[in-house]
Order: sequence, then C-alpha cells, then structure tokens
Amino acid sequence: MAPQTEKTARAIAAEFGNRPDALIEILHKLQGEIGYVPEATVPALADALNVSRAEVHGVVTFYHAFRHKPAGRHVLKMCRAEACQAMGCEALVERAESRLGVSCGGTSADGRVTLEPIYCLGLCATAPSAMLDGRVVGRLTPAKLDALLKEAGT
Amino acid sequence: MTLPFFSKVKRGENEPHGKMRIFVPKDAAAVACGADAVAAAIARSAAQTGAPVEIVRNGSRGLLWLEPLVELEMGGIRYGFGPIEADAVASLLNTGLLRGDLKALSVHPKWLGVVNKIDYFARQTRLTFARCGLTDPLSLESYRALGGYKGLEKALSLSPAGIVDAVAKSGLRGRGGAGFPTGIKWQTVHDTSAAQKYIVCNADEGDSGTFADRMLMEGDPFLLIEGMTIAGLAVGATKGFIYIRSEYPHAIAALKAAISIARKSGLLGADVAGSKRAFDLEVRTGAGAYVCGEETALLDSLEGKRGMVRAKPPLPAHKGLFGRPTVINNVLSLAAVPFILAEGAKTYLDYGMGRSRGTMPIQLAGNIKRGGLFETAFGICLGELVEDIGGGTASGRPVKAVQVGGPLGAYFPRSHFDTPFDYEAFAKRDGLIGHAGVVVFDDTADMAKQARFAFEFCAVESCGKCTPCRIGSTRGAETVDKIMAGDASEANLALVTDLCNTMKFGSLCALGGFTPYPVLSALTHFPEDFRRTPRLQAAE
Amino acid sequence: MALIKETDYGTPAAKAEKAVTLTIDGTKITVPEGTSIMRAAMEIGTQIPKLCATDSIEAFGSCRLCLVEIEGRNGTPASCTTPVAEGIVVHTQNQRLKQIRRGVMELYISDHPLDCLTCAANGDCELQDMAGAVGLRDVRYGYQGANHVFAKHNGKANSEWLPKDESNPYFTYDPSKCIVCNRCVRACEEVQGTFALTISGRGFDSRVSPGMSESFLDSECVSCGACVQACPTATLTEKAVIEIGQPEHSVVTTCAYCGVGCSFKAEMRGEEVVRMVPYKDGKANRGHSCVKGRFAWGYATHTERILEPMLRDKITDPWRETTWEEAIGRVATEFKRIQYQYGKDAVGGITSSRCTNEETFLVQKLIRAGFGVNNVDTCARVCHSPTGYGLKTAFGTSAGTQDFDSIEHTDVVMIIGANPTDGHPVFASRMKKRLRQGAKLIVLDPRRIDMVRSPHIQADHHLPLTPGTNVAVLTAWRTSSPPRASSTRRSCASVATGRTSRSGPRSCRDRSTRPRSPPSIPASIQPRCAAPLASMQPAATPPSTTA
Repeated sequence: MAPQTEKTARAIAAEFGNRPDALIEILHKLQGEIGYVPEATVPALADALNVSRAEVHGVVTFYHAFRHKPAGRHVLKMCRAEACQAMGCEALVERAESRLGVSCGGTSADGRVTLEPIYCLGLCATAPSAMLDGRVVGRLTPAKLDALLKEAGT
Repeated sequence: MTLPFFSKVKRGENEPHGKMRIFVPKDAAAVACGADAVAAAIARSAAQTGAPVEIVRNGSRGLLWLEPLVELEMGGIRYGFGPIEADAVASLLNTGLLRGDLKALSVHPKWLGVVNKIDYFARQTRLTFARCGLTDPLSLESYRALGGYKGLEKALSLSPAGIVDAVAKSGLRGRGGAGFPTGIKWQTVHDTSAAQKYIVCNADEGDSGTFADRMLMEGDPFLLIEGMTIAGLAVGATKGFIYIRSEYPHAIAALKAAISIARKSGLLGADVAGSKRAFDLEVRTGAGAYVCGEETALLDSLEGKRGMVRAKPPLPAHKGLFGRPTVINNVLSLAAVPFILAEGAKTYLDYGMGRSRGTMPIQLAGNIKRGGLFETAFGICLGELVEDIGGGTASGRPVKAVQVGGPLGAYFPRSHFDTPFDYEAFAKRDGLIGHAGVVVFDDTADMAKQARFAFEFCAVESCGKCTPCRIGSTRGAETVDKIMAGDASEANLALVTDLCNTMKFGSLCALGGFTPYPVLSALTHFPEDFRRTPRLQAAE
Repeated sequence: MALIKETDYGTPAAKAEKAVTLTIDGTKITVPEGTSIMRAAMEIGTQIPKLCATDSIEAFGSCRLCLVEIEGRNGTPASCTTPVAEGIVVHTQNQRLKQIRRGVMELYISDHPLDCLTCAANGDCELQDMAGAVGLRDVRYGYQGANHVFAKHNGKANSEWLPKDESNPYFTYDPSKCIVCNRCVRACEEVQGTFALTISGRGFDSRVSPGMSESFLDSECVSCGACVQACPTATLTEKAVIEIGQPEHSVVTTCAYCGVGCSFKAEMRGEEVVRMVPYKDGKANRGHSCVKGRFAWGYATHTERILEPMLRDKITDPWRETTWEEAIGRVATEFKRIQYQYGKDAVGGITSSRCTNEETFLVQKLIRAGFGVNNVDTCARVCHSPTGYGLKTAFGTSAGTQDFDSIEHTDVVMIIGANPTDGHPVFASRMKKRLRQGAKLIVLDPRRIDMVRSPHIQADHHLPLTPGTNVAVLTAWRTSSPPRASSTRRSCASVATGRTSRSGPRSCRDRSTRPRSPPSIPASIQPRCAAPLASMQPAATPPSTTA
C-alpha cells in the first residue's frame, strides 16, 4: 500500500512542478484521490518539493481540512458558527450525534458516517446549513437531517 | 485610443430575446435549498413539451429568503417566483410557466411580480452587485453587454499612477474589515520597485454571517477578474492569486472556469486585451483555517506553509508574497474598482457619509425573516436594516442581539439600533462593521454562551503563534464556563475583563485582538445572562 | 573567570550605513537604520522583557512581552519587530504595559509546571526571569484547566500531554515545559539550515515536533545543539546539565575537531566540564556549533582514554603501565639502537597538518636536531603546499583569502571536492543561509554531496566529474573566457570530449598565448576525462528568497 501512495503523491507533486508553494494544492488533490493524507506520503512529498519532512508535517497538521486517517463512507459537515447557531444548529448537532452514536468529529461505529463541525459555508441566510459529501444543504430541520442520515445509510 | 479589442462589443442593456428565458440560480445558497432539482425538473418538462424556452443558471439576486428564486423573462421583463423548493415546481409548471401564462401565474401563491420592483431589491444601490443574478455568470458576452470591462478599458488609457489616483480619490476602504484606504495601499506598492509584484485577493470569507464574496464569485466572477487586472496594471504586478476558502467549492469552480474563459478571450495572459501588458491569475484553495483570512497568514498559506500570522512591519505592500511587494485586498474591494474606473472616482465617493464612502454590500443573516444581500450607501441605520428591510426575526420572537462584523464583531442590543453603518460610528460604540455581516439573534439566545463561543472559536482557529490568543482563548472559555456554573462569578468576571484587555492590546492579530469585542459587548449589554448562581443552574 | 553571560540583544545587528537617533525612556541613542527598538534599548542597558526573541535569529513577535509605547503612535507595538525611526520617543514601562505583560505571563504560567526548584533550568531559565521581571504573583486561572503539564486531566489521560523524549544521547526534549516560543524551530531553520523542527497542530495544541512528530533521534536532526542553545526554558536541555547542575565558570576555548575552529565556552563546575556552549564572539562560528564540538567532547574524560604511558616488549605481550621516565627513556634508546644498527636514515617522521604550527616545529626539530636526519614530511605537502604556492602567486598570501563572514556577501559559491555539511558543518550552515537568500551554487564533486540537493538548497550546477580529473576540469575552465554558466558548459563539454589544455600556469597569465581552441590530449588520457555532458545538472529554479 505504502509505495503506491508515495507514487501518487510524487505524481501529483510533479503535476504542480514540484513547487513548494503549491503544497496545499497538492495535499488537496492527494486527499481527493486517496481520501486522506497517508503518513507515508509526507517524506515523499518533502523529497519531491525539496523541503524537510518536518515542514510538510507541520502543514498537514495545521490545516483542519487534511485528514490523517480515512473518513467514514460519508462525511456530514454541520455548520456551528453564529448565524447557524442563531437558527438552532446546536440542537441539530446533538440530534445527529445521538442518532450516529458519535460526538462531533467522530465516525460512527459501522464506519458509514463521519460527523464533523464546519465553521461557515457562506449559507448564512439559509441557515442552518450542512454539507453531505460535498453537497450543500440549507434550511436544515430535524426531518431534513433525518433524511440526510438515512441517505447516508444509518 | 481605444484598443481594437474593446470596440468589438456593442454596449447596451440585456436585449430582449425572442425566446422566453427561465432563470434558476446555481448560487450555492439556492442549490442548498434545492435549486438543482428545480432546474432539472423544469428542463425535463421543457424537453418533454418541446417548449421554446432557454433555461439559464444565473447567480443569486441576493433575496435569499426567496431562494430558489425562479424567474421568467418575457419581453425583457423578469417575473419572480419564490421560494420554489423541489416540491413546488410541479405546481408552477402546471400554472403555465413554460407557456408564459402571466395571467395565471400572477395569482400563483409564490408569485413575486417584477423582481426589480421587489422592495428589498429596489431600495438597494447596486454598484458592485449590479450584474449579479442578471446573467449566466460564465457568459463573457453578457458581462460585457452589461458594461463589463469598461473599467479595464478606461484603466488601459491611464498611466499606472492615474489608476491609483482614481482609486484613492474614490474613498474606497478595504471591504474585508480593516477599512484601510485602498488607494494608499496601492500607492505604496506602486512606489516600491521590484522585479516582481503580486495582486492577492483575499477570498477566505470566514466570518459567520457573510456570503457576499461567495455570491459575487459565483454570480459575477468576471468582475473580480477585471478588478484584479486593473490592480495589476496600477501597481505593476503581472501575477495575481485568488485565495478561496475550501468551504466554497462552487465559487472555486466558477472562478476557475471564468479565468479559463478570460484567458481564451485574451483578457488574461501575456497580452491583456492587446495592450502588450501582462497579467494572469491563479486560484488557490484554503484548507480550513479561519486565521488564513488574516492577510499575512494568507500569504504564508500561499507560500505553501502553515498559516501563521507575520509581524508587521514589514507591510505586505513592501514585502509580501515571496518577499515581494503585494497588494492584498478583499474580493469586494477589488470588485468595486471597475465601477470606479468606468464611472469615475467622484461618482463612487458621492455615496456614503463621513469617511465611509461608496456602497457596502451588507449581508443579513441568522435568525432573520428576510435574509440576503443588501448593497447600499454607508449611513443606513442598523435598526432599519434589521427590522424594516430584514423584517425582524425569522422565528417571530423579539430581536435580542445583533452581531455585526462576524465572530469578532460586537453584539449590539436593540438600544444601539440607531447606529449608522459607518466605520467610525460603529467603532465609537465599541463595535465594528468588518465585512458587513449582520447576524440576528432572538430572545432565546444565551449571551453568556455566545461569549463562551467567541473564546471557543478563537481557540479552534488560533494559529498558535502569540500567547494571548493561543492560551488566552482557552482560558477565556474555561473562565466563562466557571461563570456560567456560578463559580466565584465576580472574581471570574473581573478576570475575563482583564483577559480581554491582555488579548486586545497584546495579540499579534485581530483574531486574538478582537475576540474581546463579542465577549465584552455581551458582558456589557447583557449582564443578566452572566449572573448565574449554582442554585438557579440546578433549576434549569 | 566567572560564567560568561553574553548579552542577548534580542534581534540581530543591523548593518546599514545610515544612523538613526531616537529616545528610549528619556535617553537618546544612535543606532544603525534597521535596528529594532529592543536592540537599541539593550544597547543602553534597558532590558525589555522578552521570551521569543534572541539575537541569533530574526524577530518573531510571538510572546508579546516586549510591547512598548511610542509617542504619537497608537497601540502597543512589539519592540522586537519594530525598527527604530528618527526622532521617535519610546517608553518601555508604564501602567498599561505592566498590565499586559503580567497578563501574558499569567497565561504562560497557567500552562507550565511549577517545579522550578527541581528543574534542570533552575538558575538559567528565561521564563523564571520574566515572571520575576513582570512581578507575577498569582495565576488566577488556577491549574485545573487544559494543559500540557500533567499526564492525567480530570481523571483521564491528557491528550495534550507528551512524554519526555530522551532518544538523543546529548539532550532531552520535555514537551510539558514548552512555551512554543518557536526559537528552536527558527534556529534550526535560520542558523543551522536543517529544518528538522516544526510545530505540529495549531493553537493551544501546538507542540514542537522533530520531523513528523518523531523522536529527535529518528528525525532529520543532526544534533548541532542550536535548538538547545536557543531554548529559554528546560524544554531542550543538555543531559549533562540535568545530571550535574548549573555550571559556575567559563573558559573560552577553540574546538579541535575541524578546520572551522569554532570558539566555545567550556562551562565548568570546578574541574568538571558541564557543557560546551558556542561563543557568540567567535569569528569563525558566530555562536553556532555542530555536534562534534558541542556534544562529542566526551572523549576527553572517556573511561577508555589512556592516561598513563604503557610499554610492551613484544607485540604479543600485554601492555604494562609505566612511568614517563621509563617510557621516554625506552623510546629514545630504541631509536638510537635502530639508527646504530640500520643507519641514520632508518628513522623519519611525519606530522599531521592538523597539528599546530608549534607541534610541527617541534617534530621537525626532533628529527633534524635529535635524529640528525632530514626525513620529515607532512601531509600538508600534498595539500596546502601547492595551494599555498598558488594562493601566494595569485593573491600574495598563502593563508585563507577571506574570513568566514565574507560568505554573507557572496553571489556565487563554488565547492570543489569538499563536503561542507559533513566536514565543516558550521560553515556549511552559513553558506546555506546565503544560498537561501539567492546566491548561486556550483558543485564540482564526483559525490552527490548534501549541498547538491537538501531542503531549500539546490545547486545550480553539479558536475560529478570522474575522480582524478580535477586538474583537467580546472585547466579547461581556465582556458575559456571569464566563467559564466554557458562557458562552464563549453569547458565541461571540452572535458567530455577529451580536449583540454595541457599548458601550465604560465600560459594562463600570458593571455596572448592562450590557445583559441584547446589542443587535443593523448588518447591514453581521454577515457579518464570523460565526464559525460549529460551529467551536468541544468540550472535549477532559484532558491526561495524567503530566508
């Protein structure tokens, strides 16, 4: 498994001309293909970009968008910022946590759904907002939430 | 001298088409409310019935409580229906949408009449958002037919110093939140000689309650491209970057597509519009860090590093991206520039009040009946925005607090509804306009919880460089928790106030530096929410 | 002498010509343009409180202790990141500043162990100093909150806590004491140039991470000790200090390991060396070191070190300790016997070029005056003797042509047959710093040495010439016009085809006799000169200018 992910990482880095400043774009693309940023790819990326392992590691751990391990089959991000709070997102988050048996940030035991907080999708006038596998959902209600969870197979 | 490039297009209003046109927005807010399904249903129906109708996926009009806002254009007039969620399409189709049966449609329960005449829309002064919602965002022809690239044409006839002068005379101030005079920033970069300079657009619109940047990038991307190109000409930068938060996938896609189109049309590249001047753009994605909305952290992020805030001096205008002189501006600041060049600095300057000139695209959000984008001249009162235009709360309950300026903005009570939208007026009341997001809370809001959230958000998003923010935000949340548990409340209230002082004056950037605004405003205006005793808590 | 405490000015010295005069706490001072207010204050003896600033690295502005007020300017700027300006009036102490500083220290101490009395940094801790400096008396937050100090928090394992890392034989990393001042990370980047350290996570979670949150020994760390030196707390401490305690006097000395000759302060307690700390005033190292002089001095007191002379009669006999008289007497007698038995010329001697001049003089005196022969040689004959001749002929002196400081003004560095990161690490670090600022690098070496490509360093040209062809390459170079990258290719191409000049130094000086096209060389030599053109590395993209 490890050599393949390293190959992928190097190939993606090469697409961006091995430019150190493109590291975040590279990591996005890598995560898009593999689902997360495997630890084995960090030394490979460091070598390709001619930076240190430490520097790549520092970047991967700084940005919340990058995962260290695979997510569940579906990722449900629920916005917990002020505008959505004003429209009752916290109760919805509790509902999702209870239905999935996880606390925000975790993955359900059957590996189907990862529940994550997100701070602002820019859908603040159609709050509460969420994103399921990259698809935006607005005007969330308990019923709509249940429908989303059902769609994700739980 | 007009470059041949610009004489190709005839100017004028969107000409009436023979065909009927139906507009269904593809703006993310509309999509979040089901616009894609609506468009698909209409398209299916049109195909089945063979109706001579063109379906356009436009940007949003910004009347977000009405999204998805379906428009029917007949004879050059656009009639609106909204909100049309997936379950309402059928009835609309059955009422003769595809036949253009205005008589029947005008009594449909979701009929809105002529969209341009909707009060919320008609009261606005749309200088920046003039085109948003009117066109297919990726149609360069529509963009130019509605006055697009007139600004660039004018800019190419001026010297770089002349362009900078126009922006300076317009009174434009940074729309990201700092409110720094844009002209001065451009002048500094213009005056600093270097082999390479950059224009960076801060599209990391992280403030809760704000979506104007997103709407514009999705609804009128060429405007941003034009604004950045003019900026490049003004200061001598040949390369620009647009840093868009990763939470805005639709905006990222729209801008990438628009840039590609602009390049193919000769409006970006080595020879912009035949002028022999070069300027090109690259879209970059954020990765989940609110702090990267701070200009220097954004620059570090663009350099492929951790998004850490840099100390100033040096200013980015002197040593910015890759150590080069850089103009870094918010989306709205850059998007205001084409108008300023096309219509003249004085035209822009004449709107507004005091030192707040031009228009501000205000975003009404949260627990509000009529949420959306309201672009207007500075000077309008907060109360008018919330109650009159916004219609008060969505829940119907009384408004308790309004947070203006995002998570680092103060919570204003009803008693401050007479504050005019003006940088200085808000500052005088220990508040800030920021990026002009207005989030409304009804009386179910617990302001102690909101104060706690202010610290918590700061803790989550802190880059970790400076001590007041890195440790202070965590301690602040813990201390508010103690207050909420009725634990040594007076001493801890004093401690929170002291902590706010340390963070306000000690922090390296506005993330730590402005967290005291929501906290202290909550403490000041809503002290009753903080007065809890253990006895009361048990009863809750 | 007592323990030498070198002044830490907080930020590096500015080198501008222009002078600026300002007033700090009522005192006028003139400093070069570009100097920080913090440094200017230190020059007049005013120590503005600081934790993240140290004068071996650029200002960072993170601790927020060094805030000052400038008349006519809003706010409380950090004195480390604010340059002086003509005529400004600065105040370093007032009520507002006191309150903020105390607030900052209170936050620091709310997430720090309180074991000063048993801590390795007791007596040498800047955090301690600052708490004292700002008058911290109370941490009102208590110690029940989130922290990096205790392994357990609220009865459960503390996810923020990390155990001590004792993997490195010379120093310990204790994350529970880290104040995230970033000095170690910056030292590893700016001074050493290895980039082995980063901060993992962000916000409150931030922790110093060697490599990918590995142990120090597994990471890219080369144990130069710059981070340990920079660390203001006990987070990074020499194991010797943990074991022995604080030193009490210093002796300045020079490291004998390599040709850089770093100056060190041997910090002692009595006769025991506690640690070796680089001397900032050392002209060769300017306060930096490498693992050898910094840590690997244990050989001096190693248990296996021979302390008494020993003798044996036959190689199969065991060693027998003896007195100096007997040992020297035996050696002298035996040498005399050998000369008598086999003739005077049966004895000779060689000194190492690493011996001091005085030692070499004594050896040759022993051989000539003592043994009465001229059979003495030194490895310098094949090394510095020809270079000495060349340098003297070209420049008038056979010593090094410039000081180490001159690297800071270099535009092009050419490394021939050297491997500085291994052989002269401290100078390699200084070179790398200049290279990261944009200087170009050419490497002529069969080996793909670290300088060819390592984090943030990329040689613009690497010619991996065949061993033994140095002379051919250099003379080929010499016969072409002033070296530019393109002519470098041409002269290297001429090497590849086996065509080089074989004329001696004289034809170089006399330009009229320099051949236009180099004569061909005998076929027997051609294969040895065949460094393929394809092995020339193309010019790399310029290194990042953010040094």
